[in-house]
Formats: sequence, C-alpha cells, structure tokens
Amino acid sequence: MSSSFTIHVLHSHPKAYCLHNVISTRRGARVILHDGARIAIIGGGPAGSLFCIFASQLARDMGKALDFTIYERKSFASYGASGCNMCAGVVSESLVQLLALEGINLPPAVVQWGIESYFFHTEGGSVEIKSSRLRQRGIATVFRGGGPAGSLAKGIQSFDDFLLQRAVEHGACVKRTFIDRVCMEGDKPRLYSGGNMLQDCDLLVGAFGIKASTGKMFEDLSAGYKVPPTTKAVQSEIELGSDWVERRFGHSIHIFLLRIPGIKFVSVIPKGDYITVSVLGKYPQSDHITAFLDHSAMKKFLPSGFQIPQKFCHCFPKISVGAAIKPFARRAAFVGDASSTRLYKDGIGSAYITAKAAAHTALLHGIGEKDFREYYFPACKSLNRDNLFGQHLFFVNKLISVVSPISRGYFHIVQSEQKNLQKNTPYSDVLWDMFTGSRFYKDIFFRTLHPWFLLYLLGAVVLYPIKKAFLFFANRWKGVVL
Amino acid sequence: MTEESLLGRLYKDGETIVEEGMQSRTMYVIQGGKVKVVKNDNGNETVLALLGEGDIFGEMSLFDASPRSATIKAIGEARVLAIEHEGLMKRIKMDPTLALRMIKQMCQRIRDLNARLIVTKKAMHQASEGLLQLQRTEGVPRKDLEPKILAMVAQLQENLHTLTEQYVPRDESLP
Repeated sequence: MSSSFTIHVLHSHPKAYCLHNVISTRRGARVILHDGARIAIIGGGPAGSLFCIFASQLARDMGKALDFTIYERKSFASYGASGCNMCAGVVSESLVQLLALEGINLPPAVVQWGIESYFFHTEGGSVEIKSSRLRQRGIATVFRGGGPAGSLAKGIQSFDDFLLQRAVEHGACVKRTFIDRVCMEGDKPRLYSGGNMLQDCDLLVGAFGIKASTGKMFEDLSAGYKVPPTTKAVQSEIELGSDWVERRFGHSIHIFLLRIPGIKFVSVIPKGDYITVSVLGKYPQSDHITAFLDHSAMKKFLPSGFQIPQKFCHCFPKISVGAAIKPFARRAAFVGDASSTRLYKDGIGSAYITAKAAAHTALLHGIGEKDFREYYFPACKSLNRDNLFGQHLFFVNKLISVVSPISRGYFHIVQSEQKNLQKNTPYSDVLWDMFTGSRFYKDIFFRTLHPWFLLYLLGAVVLYPIKKAFLFFANRWKGVVL
Repeated sequence: MTEESLLGRLYKDGETIVEEGMQSRTMYVIQGGKVKVVKNDNGNETVLALLGEGDIFGEMSLFDASPRSATIKAIGEARVLAIEHEGLMKRIKMDPTLALRMIKQMCQRIRDLNARLIVTKKAMHQASEGLLQLQRTEGVPRKDLEPKILAMVAQLQENLHTLTEQYVPRDESLP
C-alpha cells in the first residue's frame, strides 16, 4: 500500500495551516460529510480501495452521494516491483470469508492458489496442520502486482488492481497524479501536484502504507501523527512451474522453523508457477534467501540440480510491527499499514478492519477529531492490544522451538491430533490460528492458558522421552532374545 | 478457471451440500455455479429457489440454531465457501454491519414469500368459493358436478404452478 506524495507546510503562506492548528482552533465544531462531499484517498492499495467501497455503500444506504478520488501512481497491472505493493500475498481464511460476506468474491484470475493446510518444518521433522473446523481451500494466495519481474504468465490479475476496480465500480475516480503537497486551506485539506492545485476535499484518507518519506511528511504537519515502527523482511519469487508446485508443495503454505543464523522463520507460499519465499529475520538480506534455498530441509522441495538464478525477483518489504500514534485528525484519517496492523501477518485483514471502521465513523458519526477518537480509534487500539498478546505468543513459540524437549512434545501431540481431526485438536488449532490469522491473538492466548492445555503438554514433554526410551530398550531386548 | 486457484469446496452435480433436518450452523457463500433449495414432502421434491454466484445460504441456522429447513443440492458443478459459525459470530459482535447483507437478502426472501403467500391465498379462496357455489347449486346431478370440480382442481394446480414458475426461474440445467 503505497503512494508517493509529499506535503509541505507552507508557513509563509497566509492561508496555510498545519493540521494541529486547525484542530486546536476548531475543536468544538461538529463536522459531517454532507451530500456531495469530496473525499480524497491517498493510496490505491487494499486499505484505500476498501475505504472507498465501504464508505460508498453506506452513503448509498443513507441516501447520500459522495465524490471519491483515489490518488495512486502505481499501475498494479505492471510486472515486478513497479506494480507491486511488496507483501507475501496471503489472504487469510477469515478475510476470504469476510470479503465473501461483503459481496467481494475473489475471482480465479486473482486467486493464484487455494490453500487448505499449513506444513511446519523443524529440524526434527515436519507436520501438516489442517483446520479442524472447515474442510476446504479457505486461504487465497495472490500477487499484489501484475506478477514477478520477467514473468510471462498470462491471466494473472493483481489483488490490489481487483479491489481498485471494485472501488471504481462504486464510483471512485482513480488518478495517477503524483501528489507533492497537501496543506490545510481554511478548514479543508487541499492537494497539489507540481505546483498546481488539484482539489479541496472534505475528508483526506491516508492509505499510503508504511512509506517512510510519505509518513514523515504527515508527521511534519504536527498533527500528532507518527508512523508505525517497522522491520524489514526479504522475499523472492522463484519460478518452478505449476506441476512441480502442485506435486511438491500441494495446497499448503510451508513454514520452516530452522536454525539458520539471522532467520526467525521462512514462509514458502505457492502461487501457480511460482513460490514466494518470505524470510523474517533481524537484518534480512538476499543472502538469507540463498542460504535457505541451500538448506537440506528446503532442497528436497526443489528439482534436482536446481540452481539459484543469478537474478531473481526479490524485494525488501517493510513490515509494520507496531502502531501509528494518533492515526486521525480533523478531516483526516489514516488507514491500513499507515495506522495499525496485526503483528507479522494479515496486513490486508488489518486494512479491512481499519478502512471499514474509518468509513463508518466518517459516515455515521462525523469527520471531526473527536469523532475519529471516539469511534475509529477503538478499532485501532483493539488491534494494538491484540498485538501485545501476539508478541507473547510468538515469544513462547520461539522458546518452544529452541527448547528441544518441549518442541518434540508439542510436535508429537500435533502429529497425533492430525491423525484424527474428528476429535478436539486444541494444539493444532493454536498453531493454525496463529499462523493463518483466523483468530485474534487474545483468543489464542487465553486458550493456551487453560490448565488442561498446559498439563497435557507437560505430560507429553515428560512421557515422550520415556516412551521413546522404553521402545528403544524393548527393541534391543527383542534383538537379544532372538 | 484453474482448479488450483479456486476457493472453497467443489460439489458435483446433484451432491447435497446441506441436508434438511440436520443440525449445523455453518453458512455458505456460492463462489461459482448454481444450487437449488429443495423441500422433500413424502418423497416429492419441490424446488423452492435457485441460487447463484455470490448468494448466501444457511444463514437461518446461523442465527436461530434450528435444524436445516431445506436441502441444498448442487446443479452441475458448484463451488461453495463455508463460513465458520463461531468466528463469524465473534466478528458480527465486533462489527454488526457485517450482518447487513444477510439481513438485506433475508428481507428480499420475506418479500418474495409474502408475494407468494398472497397469490396462494387468492388461488385457494377462488377454489373454495367455487366449491361453495357448487354446494349451493340444487338439482344438479352428481355426475354433472364432477367435471366442474376437476376443472377447478386443474385451475388451482395451474395457479400454483405459475406461482412456482414466477419465483423459481426456469433453468435449463435443472435436472
């Protein structure tokens, strides 16, 4: 989600005010979106498009006609980084369902691969986890742009482009104009490009992702807004052919929890002819991709004699790992990654939540700072609070993966559960929900605190080595007797 | 349309997705193809509605936890996305507007049912009026009455058939 534009606070301009001045001088005034109000959305990624869709739907239900303009420089139909919003491209189980309920069904050209399970690979072995709730391909993998650089694949539709087209169907006008200045003129935000005034708007929606320079310019407006903290990931698209991808990766996302220096974990996401390799680490570099592809655990998934190409489509996307401070102002709201997002996953799901909350606040309550604080900000805070539970869960997960007896015990329980999915599968469900984003972290966290959950795990940790030792000695004894 | 890129679950022609009387709270959204809503009455299958891409079904059990009120079968190949009950209820609690589309669809169904009810009542009223008229007629031999009663029953059947045709659009792919 990004759009390049700059904002200059023109202190010399007599009519230009920074946002916080407007806020302080007009705190008491109530502002609402009237019939015919103009809304400018900066960024045509999922957050911007979804804001437009939800706001226009609600406006229609309320009998209002609003004017939407989305400013997005990128053409999502382009191959490679120029058309891509650089993300792993997984639409979570819950988001697929939510979009379907909203009447947004993802067409086959958008969905590159339907996912039905997750494989977890550790140094000690692999286990496949399927949802115990629904037997279906409920997760979608997508390309955010037109496809990997150098790709000749036909019939790929970018996910972002698909949503942008839906926004256009809802009446949005998309402009490829580069916005290089935004300032407050009187009471309303005014947009400029190349020195030309483009428009005044009643509401400005910041859906520009986590582009540091753009975010910094909003911060400079002194409205109290501060961009979220980020970390870097490295990811690449490797072409293997759909037959190979089907045969070796199936309809599963593969998570590798290996002990490779500098890497937390690696996700391998099948997408038609390609796999997306997404590496999360402290200081990710392209060398990490090659180190991973050279690892014995990954090599068995690659064709024999596979050579890492000299040049392959790769990027270093930023991942938001925190929350923006004060993602709203009078006549302005920030949505998607520019606001709050879920830790390590489901960025598009967070875009859905924040965009919808902001759209409904603007239509049902108003566009004043107080309105956004009272009705929009709680949705952001709820995501932020949930991330605290997520941090704890990922810390424990890391701890488990490092302490071999516990990871073996957990692994053993999950393997047993997967053999009989008709019964309760609490340990598999925890992993499934954590990595698919199907449930909020808070839900998962409290499930793991259940006394039976902890006792059974403890039992497995203690009993598994005893059982293994017993079988070992029994086999030896058998050998001696025979 | 590639098999790999499809979401949900594929049902073959005639395969049952939802069985009448079964206890389940899963809701469904049609991703591709068509399904029919049927009611079984002593082995006779009455088609109540045809649903297509984007339509929702199974939402009544989601809210009232009652057994399924009708059977849903695939017409040709149909791909259907299941919506898990527990997760959805939590989401609706957080964002009640999520239920708006379901409410709109249910409103439309109530309107259709009301219209069908009015037409049915009208047809039944005409039939009963006709029978009462015949009862009041004196001096007409029983054998002369029979053709009139048969004609009225035929007219009633015709009315009910028209009613079904009106609200369940004819589809060539119907078996």
